[in-house]
Amino acid sequence: MKIFSTLDFLIEKSISAILVVFIVSILFLSCSSIVLRWFQYSQLWIDPLVRHLVFFSTFLGGVLATGKGTHIGIDLIGTYLEHHKLSVAAQIIKIIVCTVSVATLVWLVVASINFSQIELQYGKAVFWGIESGYLVSFIPIGFGLIGYRFFYILLVTVQELVGSKR
Amino acid sequence: MEVIVYFLILGTALIGVPIFIIMSLFALTAFYFADVSGAAVIVEVYRLAGAPTLITIPLFTLAGYLMAESNSPQRLLRFANASLGWLPGGVAIVSLVICAFFTAFTGASGVTIIALGGLLYPILTKEGYSEKFSLGLITTSGSLGLLFAPSLPIILYGIVAKVDIDKLFKAGLLPGILLIVILSLWSIKNGNFSQKERVKFQFAEFWSSLKGSLPELLLPVAIMFGIYGGITTVTETAALTAFYVLVMEVVFYRDINIFKDFPSIITESMSLVGGILLILCCALGLTNYLVDEEVPVKILEFMQQYLTNKYSFLLFLNIFLLIVGSLMDIFSAIIVVVPLITPIAASFGVDPIHLAIIFLANLEIGYITPPVGINLFISSYRFNKPIIELYKASFPFLLLLVGALLIITYWEGLSLFLVN
Repeated sequence: MKIFSTLDFLIEKSISAILVVFIVSILFLSCSSIVLRWFQYSQLWIDPLVRHLVFFSTFLGGVLATGKGTHIGIDLIGTYLEHHKLSVAAQIIKIIVCTVSVATLVWLVVASINFSQIELQYGKAVFWGIESGYLVSFIPIGFGLIGYRFFYILLVTVQELVGSKR
Repeated sequence: MEVIVYFLILGTALIGVPIFIIMSLFALTAFYFADVSGAAVIVEVYRLAGAPTLITIPLFTLAGYLMAESNSPQRLLRFANASLGWLPGGVAIVSLVICAFFTAFTGASGVTIIALGGLLYPILTKEGYSEKFSLGLITTSGSLGLLFAPSLPIILYGIVAKVDIDKLFKAGLLPGILLIVILSLWSIKNGNFSQKERVKFQFAEFWSSLKGSLPELLLPVAIMFGIYGGITTVTETAALTAFYVLVMEVVFYRDINIFKDFPSIITESMSLVGGILLILCCALGLTNYLVDEEVPVKILEFMQQYLTNKYSFLLFLNIFLLIVGSLMDIFSAIIVVVPLITPIAASFGVDPIHLAIIFLANLEIGYITPPVGINLFISSYRFNKPIIELYKASFPFLLLLVGALLIITYWEGLSLFLVN
């Protein structure tokens, strides 16, 4: 279990650091682009680079939201159970939620690997000569990281449930 | 078989599976049954990277979070109190305006109630407002600025419905003001002013608070001037706003430490943005499937049997969206419902800009509509009050906003006056 928690901690810290770098870059590049335009000078690579940084940040933000448990959802039953102090039932619900999430994310990872392979064959350069096939390979990584964090929450919840029954 | 699977997926949504997982699962399953590779869903996910206005979402949200984490709420409150505190109901009006300002920047993500609720609640009760009224006012104000630039739901609506975001910003201004005016009048009516000595207007305090908050007060003016005057695009405005707020809070006011506070503000705001954009990109696959299967056309054909004109359609739309708003959060609702509603509304002759304002006004009200209006839960958490108490406190405000919604819905000119 320690390996899983260490890995989760490392993901949290490294993703937070990367996200800070990405957002600062987005801000700096966007402002630079405006200033350059005032001088009738434009760099065509800035716009696609910034859009891709935002796209990557979506997944990184999603990884953090998973750790914080702040993904948007309609949690009618979970809220009811917590209000009525039905903690075991709430834990079982949480296990189902995490299992469904992990399974779906595995499906998404497989689908995005397939998509990346297609893009590697037929994709075209987006900026700096980097082809879309390489850029989209971030999608399975992003879904994979989110999936791992759901898997870790699943493990922790199962452990808590087993512990409470003992 | 397919129907059972879809019902199971829907069931998992009710127990709290994140919306982006539900969207993905729906899309992957639908494509699986149609014998199409799951890669088709990911094609749509990647389409998000091509949206030109995408960048506005993280930048405006970052600006909002920076201001919420600084002493900006206190400074603005001091200025508003100095300028309007002498008016009967002035403190309540101040609360409404300040909350609208913050909600426009933070996208009604609950930050307004969390950041300002604790400041405003004691001021309102001290002013003679009842506890119930104060709670209702703050809960309602948590989503009040949604129709003002640069609110996140407006940008998201523009991206999903492919409507000009600049025009949406213009269109939201008058209906947004209408909502504030109605609630202000209600606040004036409810004040217990006879028993309380009014605060006198003091020019020295007014001037001092104005000087203290001028850089922040200029921000919405600059944004409106830039966008409404056609000087900057929405994307440029977002970049300049985030940069301006960062410099202002870090260098000018020194409320935020660039090394200590700024990284945590980025991660905090981006976990919200990530959550919203994940729903958006995962929903693109599902909506693509629904459009391919001509679902909006089928819904339209069904509706045309019962709804014969634009006005009956608008009434139906209001009821439908109020229910949606009370069950789903605004971001999911925009992403899921907008692609289905827009072609139907167009066939009934509803202007797409007017539709956007009706849609957003409905969902704004959805924030305080029981059973799961999110502001009710945030206030319940923030003020440590039972949720039922919040239902009761917000109910008069809910009725007033529904009245305003009818005006917004049936008076098209209110939304389109500035656009045209």
